[in-house]
Amino acid sequence: MDINVRKRSQVQVVQLRGPLRMGPAVDSLRQTLEEALGNGDTRIVMNLSEVPMIDSSGIGLLVRFLAVIKQRGGNIKLAQPSKFAVQTLRLVGVLNLFEIFDNDDSAVESFA
Amino acid sequence: MANKIDGGSENSELSELFDRSMPAEPTAIGAVVDAISEILAKLEVPEQKRFEIALAVQEALANAVVHGCDNDPSKHIRCRLKSASDGRIVIIVTDPGPGFNAERLSNPKQGENLYADHGRGVYLIRQLMDEVRFERPGNEISMWKY
Repeated sequence: MDINVRKRSQVQVVQLRGPLRMGPAVDSLRQTLEEALGNGDTRIVMNLSEVPMIDSSGIGLLVRFLAVIKQRGGNIKLAQPSKFAVQTLRLVGVLNLFEIFDNDDSAVESFA
Repeated sequence: MANKIDGGSENSELSELFDRSMPAEPTAIGAVVDAISEILAKLEVPEQKRFEIALAVQEALANAVVHGCDNDPSKHIRCRLKSASDGRIVIIVTDPGPGFNAERLSNPKQGENLYADHGRGVYLIRQLMDEVRFERPGNEISMWKY
């Protein structure tokens, strides 16, 4: 999985490319989110437009960090989640935990 | 190659499409899932159904690695894909572990389970597939898609 992080208006925009599943992909994203938290960055936009699959490990990672970041006054918002990402998050009942946006810009602006 | 199995699809004639043993490590899962997806694509299985099968296989293999093999890469997991003459597909994942009671799993959509970092795999499999059976003492899962 490719993970590209850039900062826009004090928001970390994390672009993921590839399946988010147990193994290197989930490990890499966990490291990325831990680094963000370590730097005090708690405003995160996760672009899932190029994530064709999220498994239960990936879901677990997202919801755990969502809980931790919300406790610190931040949020993880999803931008352009793929059809199958939305289906999977809905199947396990966590889709409504996230704010979802059509693009990175609107997700970033929602933090203002 | 064809054989008959008992169970949810009694006496169905099955053709074996895939039979692979993989080491019990997370990095080995993706290649098996991708190989099965490619076979299904060649069989012209619709994209939605391919996605559902691929995610179910991903979850079953991940469970086998973590719970069936304790993340021990010296242990091996067997994954088979078979098709019935009427188009139904079954994936069978077998691990060397002691098995478990799938009926005792909690509902991941209830209460604080929503924010848990684990406990969704078997639930997802049951949502994605049409028939799911745990065989032997619980260390073999058969997942059917109609």
